[in-house]
Amino acid sequence: MSCTMRFFHASSMIGILFSAAAFGQTPVPEAGLPVTDAVTVAKCGTCHARDKAGNMERISLQRTTPEGWQDVVKRMIVIHGASLSPVEARSIVKYLSTFHGLTPEEARPVMYEAERRIREETIPNENVRKTCAQCHSVARALSWRRSQEEWKQFTEAHAQRYKFAVKEEVTTFLTKAAPLLTPEWTAWNKRNAAENAEGRWLVTASLPGRGKYTGELHVEPAGGDEFTTSLRLTSVRDGSSIVRSGRSAVYGGYAWRGRSKGDKAPVTADDPSSETREVMWIAPDQQMAEGRWYWGQYQEFGFDVQLRRPGREPTLLLTEPTALKVGVKSARVRLMGDSFPLEGNPDFGPGVAVQRIISRTASEVVAEVDVAADAASGRRDVVLRGSRLAGALAIYDRIDYVMLTPESAMAAFSDREHPRGYQQFEAIGYQRGADGKAMTADDVSLGPVDATWWVEVFYALPGSDPETVGRMTASGLFVPATHNPDANFDIWVVATARAETDRNGKPLTAKAYLVVTVPSYVFNGRRFVRDLDRWVDNGPATDPK
Amino acid sequence: MKQGLLAGAVWCGLLLMPPAVEGHHGYSAFDTKSEVTFEATVTEFHFTNPHSVLEFEVKQEGQVQKWQVEMGSRRQLTLHGWTATTIEAGSKLTITGYKAKNGSRAMWATKLLGADGKEIRITREN
Repeated sequence: MSCTMRFFHASSMIGILFSAAAFGQTPVPEAGLPVTDAVTVAKCGTCHARDKAGNMERISLQRTTPEGWQDVVKRMIVIHGASLSPVEARSIVKYLSTFHGLTPEEARPVMYEAERRIREETIPNENVRKTCAQCHSVARALSWRRSQEEWKQFTEAHAQRYKFAVKEEVTTFLTKAAPLLTPEWTAWNKRNAAENAEGRWLVTASLPGRGKYTGELHVEPAGGDEFTTSLRLTSVRDGSSIVRSGRSAVYGGYAWRGRSKGDKAPVTADDPSSETREVMWIAPDQQMAEGRWYWGQYQEFGFDVQLRRPGREPTLLLTEPTALKVGVKSARVRLMGDSFPLEGNPDFGPGVAVQRIISRTASEVVAEVDVAADAASGRRDVVLRGSRLAGALAIYDRIDYVMLTPESAMAAFSDREHPRGYQQFEAIGYQRGADGKAMTADDVSLGPVDATWWVEVFYALPGSDPETVGRMTASGLFVPATHNPDANFDIWVVATARAETDRNGKPLTAKAYLVVTVPSYVFNGRRFVRDLDRWVDNGPATDPK
Repeated sequence: MKQGLLAGAVWCGLLLMPPAVEGHHGYSAFDTKSEVTFEATVTEFHFTNPHSVLEFEVKQEGQVQKWQVEMGSRRQLTLHGWTATTIEAGSKLTITGYKAKNGSRAMWATKLLGADGKEIRITREN
């Protein structure tokens, strides 16, 4: 389980705090960000006074992501009665997201919030946990940059609204970690880059439970910073294709937000033709983008997407399979990419010999390889005519253990207002790594293994019937029962590898902890409604027992 | 967008689960009026959220019974120095805790002793 923690922690709070601390090291006298957009001035200026320098109350003292500004505009409409047409609201969000947004470097560590990924965060201190992380991710708070006074005002108003006490330590932390103005922000805001997302992108995508995809995305200008998109994705696993089309906007030259859907109506909840919301981060050099295209009642389904600009040189994107066992003969390995040469063999490193090239096109090479019995275990790069794919292939002697991802999760029954909340699992094989010990940092992930799946109810509330909890599909998808039993269950999702056993010949089995719950539930004395992004206060915080 | 908002708070609310055992099944699911103690052989350790779980076997009247004991979340145990390999399959432990009220072979840990008799610290935030 430490392995999964590794993945989560590497890119979550440590990165956020590191970058935040770096920004905080060079304090600059605080000033506001003038608002220069006519629609924003006209529509927001009725309440937010604008001074001679163009600074508007509150608005000029904060910066955030497109999602942050969308939330603000919605709150102004719903709670404060702002009168905005959809066109005006969209225009304001677009302006503020572009000119009062985060720098790419500020946004990247908190992208998992906008991408609706489940991350286990390292909470900086207990007060931040109690103040922020009881209700939402810390990344949500750190998706904002505010002046010192604005952070103070915000935390006080937030505490009053949601009825909690805020400690000064929290405000101090946020002020230092997420200041409004930094030299980096100033430099980025003055940039004169010619960002443009249009053109051809090479796509690799991964959809848990369905494997990897490759394809090409074509982006056409649709006016301003908006684009239309067309995409053909091909499944590496079974060769099936999905044709998708959509529309997107790019804020600040890097924050891609869009929607797309397949050309066929989705048949199942997890159908990859489903309409997705696209959230991506485009690298400052405009040569790479990454993000998540998600859907589902709880955003539980989603492609992990990477885009790369094609070049004249060969570009290696994927290999399949991604792991080979020592001693294997005549194994077929597919290399997928772009601008592949018409000659030359791929290099898989010592101990993996290419016997012949079975087929070759500009986008795919299929090689037949032998793996020596004494080939070194571990991940290695694959190289094709100068294009190197780091860690693309793992060599292993045996699968030492299997772990499920996610290790813990939540699914939900449906009611009249809420569709079911599903959960996709994958069984990932691991080799023990160079230290010879399983469950340590150097263990080698071998990717998903084919498995059989079932559930074991280990805790059901009194009066509930464990038979009603739901089922696992052959691909590792947990499907809650159609009938809402109005009860919660703690269950194990269990998987056993079909083709592999451990070194003693015993089945390789792993478990994940799944809570299957109702669409709304109570804890800590407050009713939490799962489809609203807030606590609905239900009285003082007391233990419901 | 309404749909787009729910995951962060919901999932973080669970995965970062504030007080240790609220929500899906509360601390009240266990009979806190009486503790039981088992001489246990660990079969599996799950270092996970929302609770870490030890699965173990005990000998009761000549029969081997399978039990499991719940503890704090991974975050809570990490604060006490736990890792995924703190407890390994085959370890001998003396496990004390509260039995589940629903009659299942589940319990909530209040004290763990290693084979050497030393206490292995666990969190109790209830």
